[in-house]
Amino acid sequence: MTEKEVLDDLKTIIVERLRFDPARAAEMTLDTTLPKGIDGSLGLDSLDFIELSVGIEERFGIVIDEREDLSDEFLSLQSLARFVLSKSAQG
Amino acid sequence: MTRAALPRVVVSGLGVVSPYGAGVKSLWTGLSAGACAIRPVTVIETEGLRSRVAAEVPAEALDGLGVSRRRSRADRLALAAAAEALADAGLEGRDRRPAACLVGAVGGGMHEAEAWYWDEVRSGRPAPGRQRALRSVLPRAHADAVAFRFGLEGPRETLVMACASGAASIALGADLIRDGVVDVALAGGVDALTRICFMGFNALKLLAPEPCRPFDRDRRGMSIGEGAAFLVLEDAGRCRARGGRAHAELAGAAMTTDAHHVTAPHPEGEGMIRAMSLALGCARMASGEIGYVNAHGTGTPQNDRIEALALARVFGEGRILVSSTKSLVGHTMAAAGSVEALATILALEHGLVPPTANLTEIDPAVPFDCVPGTARPADLGAALSNSFGFGGQNVSLIFSRLSH
Repeated sequence: MTEKEVLDDLKTIIVERLRFDPARAAEMTLDTTLPKGIDGSLGLDSLDFIELSVGIEERFGIVIDEREDLSDEFLSLQSLARFVLSKSAQG
Repeated sequence: MTRAALPRVVVSGLGVVSPYGAGVKSLWTGLSAGACAIRPVTVIETEGLRSRVAAEVPAEALDGLGVSRRRSRADRLALAAAAEALADAGLEGRDRRPAACLVGAVGGGMHEAEAWYWDEVRSGRPAPGRQRALRSVLPRAHADAVAFRFGLEGPRETLVMACASGAASIALGADLIRDGVVDVALAGGVDALTRICFMGFNALKLLAPEPCRPFDRDRRGMSIGEGAAFLVLEDAGRCRARGGRAHAELAGAAMTTDAHHVTAPHPEGEGMIRAMSLALGCARMASGEIGYVNAHGTGTPQNDRIEALALARVFGEGRILVSSTKSLVGHTMAAAGSVEALATILALEHGLVPPTANLTEIDPAVPFDCVPGTARPADLGAALSNSFGFGGQNVSLIFSRLSH
């Protein structure tokens, strides 16, 4: 899996699970940030992050430890894509 | 005035996660083999309780469902069963959108809420998992998760009708289709094992210490199970038009209430008799057309005796085969009505009646062949499934074989 493929899957999750406008998803890049409170971010709140985590676990077949602080990993699409790739590599 | 003929309702998809594991195939393999899946409990604490057995969904089956562990145990069961039913029906994105999503539920995400609560009480400190526990604790959480996950945008209902919930959702689905509200519905039920359910039935002295023995003279109560099952119900014309394949027709359905007692059924089975009779009327069938009844058959002294009385009144003593699949997969609570609807449909499709396990000596008050131990070949045209919830909530469903 390449970073680009993971990014495309993340966009699909954001459209299908988080109900974002597909046109908005097309504009997202690796630099797009996620949490609300950051200028230009997608503005995700805590419930969105749960939904996103569920979507990632079910799409990529990985387990995300909910006790870990993953705010750096969930900061941008790039950090998230790298996190997913590293988790997938761990098998 | 002549009424236009009501639409016929067919079952075009089946899906299940049962104590045998995931999938319709594993359910039928277990049921037809008469394999009792009731074993020592592992997922909740039962020390000191009158019963320590239940029919759990095996851990390896749960982990193989492809559903996030972040979801509640019950949501995981529901999502996997719903996915199988929708795939079996061949309902893709656009065809799914108008579907009703009808879910029988009682326990909701209580399995996780209890774990979090006990963790916090015992440690005296805030315990992790609070957000997840509270997010999915309500019974309606399953219908939300299923509708969102699969893009079902029709009416969304959660039916909390105790042990009749899973059957009631199917009866409601039939009504919505016959009334022209929708032409397709995903209907079923789900429950995961919880301490509150186990301890509640324990306190009521309704749990059998050994795997339950429905209709046996020495039956001592019920065994709890868990699981999820869904049916895709569809207007027969629409199913045909899109090239769908139907398993059976949902020929009749009826719901009644015993306005009698907070837990006990009416002593003469009055509400049960009315439910079965109304379902026959709905199906425009004579009682002689039914070959098999999948009984509510909990294994409690009270239910089995009164259900047998009601069956004798409706069908005549000895006139039908009766079995309780609760002796095999336990009482899966809000899922039971839908798990047993699947068992009934599969019996019709395969011409084989699943047996009643653990039945060694029939109660003389039960004047029926209850198919002890071994499945019985039977050429069935139609079969009825009973589900009777606490407080006299009675649902009877009639399925018939399609003439091809």
